[in-house]
Amino acid sequence: MKTIQAEKTGLRLRLYIAGNAPNSLLAISNLKAICDEHFATGCVLETIDLLVHPGRALADSIIVTPTLVKFYPLPVQKVIGTLSDTNQVCVALGVK
Amino acid sequence: MTGIKARPKQELAQRLAEAEATIEALVSGQIDAVVDSKSHTPVLLSKAQDALRESEERYRRIVETSNDGIWAIDGRSKITFVNQRLADMLGYSPEEMIGKSFSEFIPEASASKAPQRFEGSRGISEETEVKLERNDQSELWVLLKTSPIRDADGAYIGTLAMMTDRTRARHDEEALRKSEEQYRQIVETTTEGIFKSDDSGRIQFVNRRFAEMLGYDPREMLGVSIFDFMSDAAKKIAIDAFTRRRRGLQDVVDTTFLHRDGSNISVSIAGAPQFDADGVYIGSLGVVRDVTEQKKLQSQLMVSDRMASVGTLAAGVAHEINNPLAAVIANLDYMSESLRHMIAGDSSEAAPAKSTAWVLEEIKTPLDDARDAAERVRFIVRDLKIFSRSPSDEPTGAVDVKAIMESSLRMAWNEIRHRARLVKNYGAVPGVRANEARLGQVFLNLVINAAQALQEGHAERNEIRVSTRVEGDRVIVEVADTGAGIAPEILGRIFDAFFTTKAVGVGTGLGLAICHRIVTDMGGELTVETEIGKGTTFRVALPIARKDTTEFVVPDEQIAVAARRGRILVVDDEPLVIRTVKRILSKEHDLVVTVAATEALALCASGEKFDLILCDLMMPEMTGMDLHRELSLVAPEQADRMIFVTGGAFTEKARRFLSETPKEHLEKPFASANLRAIVQRYLR
Repeated sequence: MKTIQAEKTGLRLRLYIAGNAPNSLLAISNLKAICDEHFATGCVLETIDLLVHPGRALADSIIVTPTLVKFYPLPVQKVIGTLSDTNQVCVALGVK
Repeated sequence: MTGIKARPKQELAQRLAEAEATIEALVSGQIDAVVDSKSHTPVLLSKAQDALRESEERYRRIVETSNDGIWAIDGRSKITFVNQRLADMLGYSPEEMIGKSFSEFIPEASASKAPQRFEGSRGISEETEVKLERNDQSELWVLLKTSPIRDADGAYIGTLAMMTDRTRARHDEEALRKSEEQYRQIVETTTEGIFKSDDSGRIQFVNRRFAEMLGYDPREMLGVSIFDFMSDAAKKIAIDAFTRRRRGLQDVVDTTFLHRDGSNISVSIAGAPQFDADGVYIGSLGVVRDVTEQKKLQSQLMVSDRMASVGTLAAGVAHEINNPLAAVIANLDYMSESLRHMIAGDSSEAAPAKSTAWVLEEIKTPLDDARDAAERVRFIVRDLKIFSRSPSDEPTGAVDVKAIMESSLRMAWNEIRHRARLVKNYGAVPGVRANEARLGQVFLNLVINAAQALQEGHAERNEIRVSTRVEGDRVIVEVADTGAGIAPEILGRIFDAFFTTKAVGVGTGLGLAICHRIVTDMGGELTVETEIGKGTTFRVALPIARKDTTEFVVPDEQIAVAARRGRILVVDDEPLVIRTVKRILSKEHDLVVTVAATEALALCASGEKFDLILCDLMMPEMTGMDLHRELSLVAPEQADRMIFVTGGAFTEKARRFLSETPKEHLEKPFASANLRAIVQRYLR
């Protein structure tokens, strides 16, 4: 059911990280696990390494890494940190 | 302020929420980098603190180059850090592992208890062995060391775990355990006793079998000196053996142990020294075989082999005896006939009357012939006696190998003469320390083997050569044949018991095995040299007897003329012997004869005095030994005057009795000269 919902919504995410920094790696892994469970097919995720592309921080007014931005569907939501709190992430991504 | 006001309220609320979330994330350490608001470039938080970074870098390097796998888990059991080594050990990349619960890497079997261990019991450092599962589902055994991670307030926030790969070590340990188990089983199920002792002889290990041999429980023997289980004689042997062990020698020792019940256990011990890693002697290992039964069996086998040898020779010996016996009987008949004619005064045409002188002259030659023939029978019987003596372990003293060899050759003559020429090459040799009967058995076996190696009927082509010589401190006796030789593939087995190449019924397969044993027991050596097509030589090397190293000379009895007339009592259950003795001695002495020892005892008890009592040793009812004992009580002076006559001391008791009697005894058959000489010697 949740997967179908995700397909309808066409979830688009950006994850801002800082290279191999531990919290960033942890955020990637946590996000993957959440996507695998809830948005197996309907999720477009872009991971942006600010150490490689520092200029991109401006676009979503990112001030720390790791930061996850859900920019579609609206409203835009941000989750800051390692994404360890699955509940909080799900709420932000609009999963019930 | 205006900027803020200009923004929609909703956006403001959102930004506030973001700020709160950011602060919260910063406080809980979830932030890697902060984007500089002016340059818009990310600044890694760690970079802000160089000292900290360097220190972390140093730890990171240690962690990454460590041979141990390392991970850190947070308070919710999630992996927050994995080093490359642990990722490699498990077959993942670090990225694949981070964020997962550590329990994903623990097979279900051990999952129930493992979490506590992995989490370091939430605060207590631990070291334990656990099983992980690799990416390919194979097992990974690790030695796990955990320590809790605490925050500044000392609250538990996670666990750091270091893991040493124990998979290989566990396999090795398992293999070692299995191998040890296997050895333990061998040691505990073998029929041989095994013990290990330290340098001083203290027992460090005994297997069940060894303890049983001596009637103990293995635990009772631990820590006790091995010498406590030995008689004084065995201790001496053991001390010598331990000395050899200390020098690094290993060998087999025949000795005895004391059973708990006090009896002696005959054993053969294969002893080996033990050294530590530095080559320092630390004790001995002994493998003990109980040979008590075997010893018994062996002596039985020896007797049975000797009997078998005698048995196969019985026909030959009968033949040997029959020839001279025929001569004795024929000559005596002839003489008896001649004398009858003379006495009857027959003067028929066929046999005219002859003068007494002529007749006496006529019977002189057959008489001498009969005497010679009888002498041959005597020799043959003497030879047979050698082989019928029961074996006692002691050597009989200095033994003349030539005489024994001659006896053996006479015994085997019937086997030899159709097959080979006999060549004797006797060098002068001293007596050897041996047992006559056993040595005779050895020689007879070797001579018969030599004969049987040759085809029958080509005596002129073949040769059996016997020789004696001295080599160092040993006497060498060789028996060589010109037979086919022994094939190399069976040469190694010829001294094995029950190995025979002869047809069923011809050989027992014991001959050489027993020869070898006998010669070895005497401290000698039995060796063989063989060449295919040329023949075989068996070589017996025997130690020279210590005391008497003179040549054997059998002194001829002086034919003594009776110097004094004595009164002699003759006791023998065989009337023929009595009559003969009477005939020989009555001209020179006064004789009283009886066939019963009881009558002799009665005579002496009644006060009759004799200068000498010639008494048969073995008689029914009362033996010569019994008579001696009785006389010692009633007429001790008469007992001292007894001289024993024997046809062979066939019992152990009789042999011992004779060896304890100071006077010499007279062996049947005896020549008349011998009888007269011995009587004269004791008559004084």
